[in-house]
Amino acid sequence: MAETNAKSLGNPAHNKIINDELLVKQFNNGDGSAFDKIVEKYSADIAALANRLLGWPGDVEDVVQDIFLAAFLGLKKFRCECSLKTWLFTITINQCRNYRYKQMLRLKIFSRAADKISSSPAHSADKQPMDNETFDRIRRAITVLPAKYREPLVLKYLQELSANEIVRILGISQNTLQVRLSRARKRLRKDLAGLIEG
Amino acid sequence: MEEDKIKSLLQKADQTAGRPGSVPTNLTSAIRRRARQRRFISLAAPLAAAAMVLIAFGVWRLMSTPAGDTNEQVRLAMLQAEVQQLRAQTDSTLKLVREVIKRQRRRSRLQELEAKLARIPDPLEEMQRQADKTAFVLVYQANRMYNELDQKDSAIETYNRVIDLFPKSKWADVARRRLAEIQNSSVNKNGLTI
Repeated sequence: MAETNAKSLGNPAHNKIINDELLVKQFNNGDGSAFDKIVEKYSADIAALANRLLGWPGDVEDVVQDIFLAAFLGLKKFRCECSLKTWLFTITINQCRNYRYKQMLRLKIFSRAADKISSSPAHSADKQPMDNETFDRIRRAITVLPAKYREPLVLKYLQELSANEIVRILGISQNTLQVRLSRARKRLRKDLAGLIEG
Repeated sequence: MEEDKIKSLLQKADQTAGRPGSVPTNLTSAIRRRARQRRFISLAAPLAAAAMVLIAFGVWRLMSTPAGDTNEQVRLAMLQAEVQQLRAQTDSTLKLVREVIKRQRRRSRLQELEAKLARIPDPLEEMQRQADKTAFVLVYQANRMYNELDQKDSAIETYNRVIDLFPKSKWADVARRRLAEIQNSSVNKNGLTI
């Protein structure tokens, strides 16, 4: 027993979860600084995921604020059944869906995404223009995928989460996840013909 | 193999897109402010709605009930009694009007029938007229038989029939006169021949 405890204490992931639980407990006990720590710890991950899910618009400050506002209001109901990161990612997925839905209602989704992708600053300026165009094409292909294919794709290949985590975040079964990933890859193969085969 | 290629392509595309803007330092304070606003709205909205409803109800009560409740009830009862009385009066008047209209209709119908009856001729008179006419026809035929066709016996028979059938008519008198004339003329003829 003591050995197991010692092992689990040595595991960084386990420590992380315990730390998160502590932070949640502190927040529920009225310690405001606990939320600051949560924001500090996860804001970068959340911003990156939101950025990817929304089609790399670059400016995701509003969405991130909405996500943490939802977390702030719902943290008292969080019962630590999953990790805090998974819970925050679930909120991120839902908020991004809402954001995209609102955008779609304004009938600007495709043009705006395309404009923003093309106008977003390239990270490596020394790349060839042809490469930028190719990567633009890839990002656009991901952006126009339906949410049910885009989300597993982003979580698996860009966030590099495990299948178990993705299943928890999306609330789907393992089989469904595999089917969706397979279909997403098939669509990408079709949309990016030449790039993947070549 | 292909999955690895897709993964590396996606990751490269992600890297070239750049990182999202850094999270602002005042993010938590902004979130707290918004949370406070939301809580305030979620509390204030139902309170404001309840206050509005109460105010509206109060205004309505003030406008609808100027006097005390008992006075109002008495006034209401009196009004109801008046209304019932008026209704009873109206009903009786309506009944009377209906009765008068019914009588008028009956009277006019009676007048119509009387007029119709007046237009129908008296059957006895009609029979008398017809008998008179028949007697005239028989006399006329007998005259023709005697004067034009020289059928003296048939003429006498017809005159007699007229006298038998219509003894009280004026044509019976005419028939008698004719018979008498015929007899006189035959007597004269016999006298001459004698």
